[in-house]
Amino acid sequence: MNAKTIEPSVIIREFDAPRQLVFDAWTQVKHLNNWMFPMQGCQCEFVSADIRDNGTSLHKITMPNGHEMWLFTKYEEVAPPEKLVFLQYMSNEDGDILPMAHMPNWPKDMLATLHFEELAKGKTKITFYWEPRNPTAEELAVFEASREDHQGGWGSGMEQLATYLATR
Amino acid sequence: MARTSTTNDVFSAIGEPKRRALLEQLVLQQMTVSDLVEAMEWSQPMVSKHLKVLKDVNLVSETKVGRFHYYRVQPDELRPIQEWVHQFEKYWGGALEQLDSYLTDIQKTRDDDER
Repeated sequence: MNAKTIEPSVIIREFDAPRQLVFDAWTQVKHLNNWMFPMQGCQCEFVSADIRDNGTSLHKITMPNGHEMWLFTKYEEVAPPEKLVFLQYMSNEDGDILPMAHMPNWPKDMLATLHFEELAKGKTKITFYWEPRNPTAEELAVFEASREDHQGGWGSGMEQLATYLATR
Repeated sequence: MARTSTTNDVFSAIGEPKRRALLEQLVLQQMTVSDLVEAMEWSQPMVSKHLKVLKDVNLVSETKVGRFHYYRVQPDELRPIQEWVHQFEKYWGGALEQLDSYLTDIQKTRDDDER
């Protein structure tokens, strides 16, 4: 019905750590290099980081098979210790945003909004919203379609496929 | 209903669960259509239909050996899928797990008796 409404994807996670520390982990290179990758065996290196309102960063993730992936981030809001808003893009090593040639209709601008909430002393909740910004109708449809698949859940075979690819 | 008909790109080719299952099977070894019919327990037209889509986007290649046609996964074509697999749940869900273990590690050294 209301096709124009974008419903973000959401991940909610709790951490046994004080809010300020959790927030710092997202905004300080000495922390970021230690965890900002999607799975064990990867390495992360921030080559630039100006993490504040309207700042940018560029980092490289090296997969276990040596495959390198560059990510360029534009920060819109850095409000310690409670909120972080950024757009992130696949890029080259110079931080030039790469077109997703194989996924022509994947939304060009994906917006991440994170809320950091202190639940109790030493307990922090992150609510992470992920949504396309100003998507075209095609982009929105692709985003929605990918989400349907995610909700169906990836089979363990897909994990296997990913592992296979990562070890090549 | 609202799905786009971008059947020619890799994204929608792999968006269909049956085709992912086919790819997962072919990752293990190259197979003929009849091997796949047996392994998947699908009809031959079903296997052929999905195989064709995968071939059209070059995710799967075909080699002829005698009178047999073998199909195999083209890993290089799958590389962009890696990026896709790393979208939200995969990518950020994984990263948050890394964050969790990192935070646990760096706090271990602290003397934490709050009880």
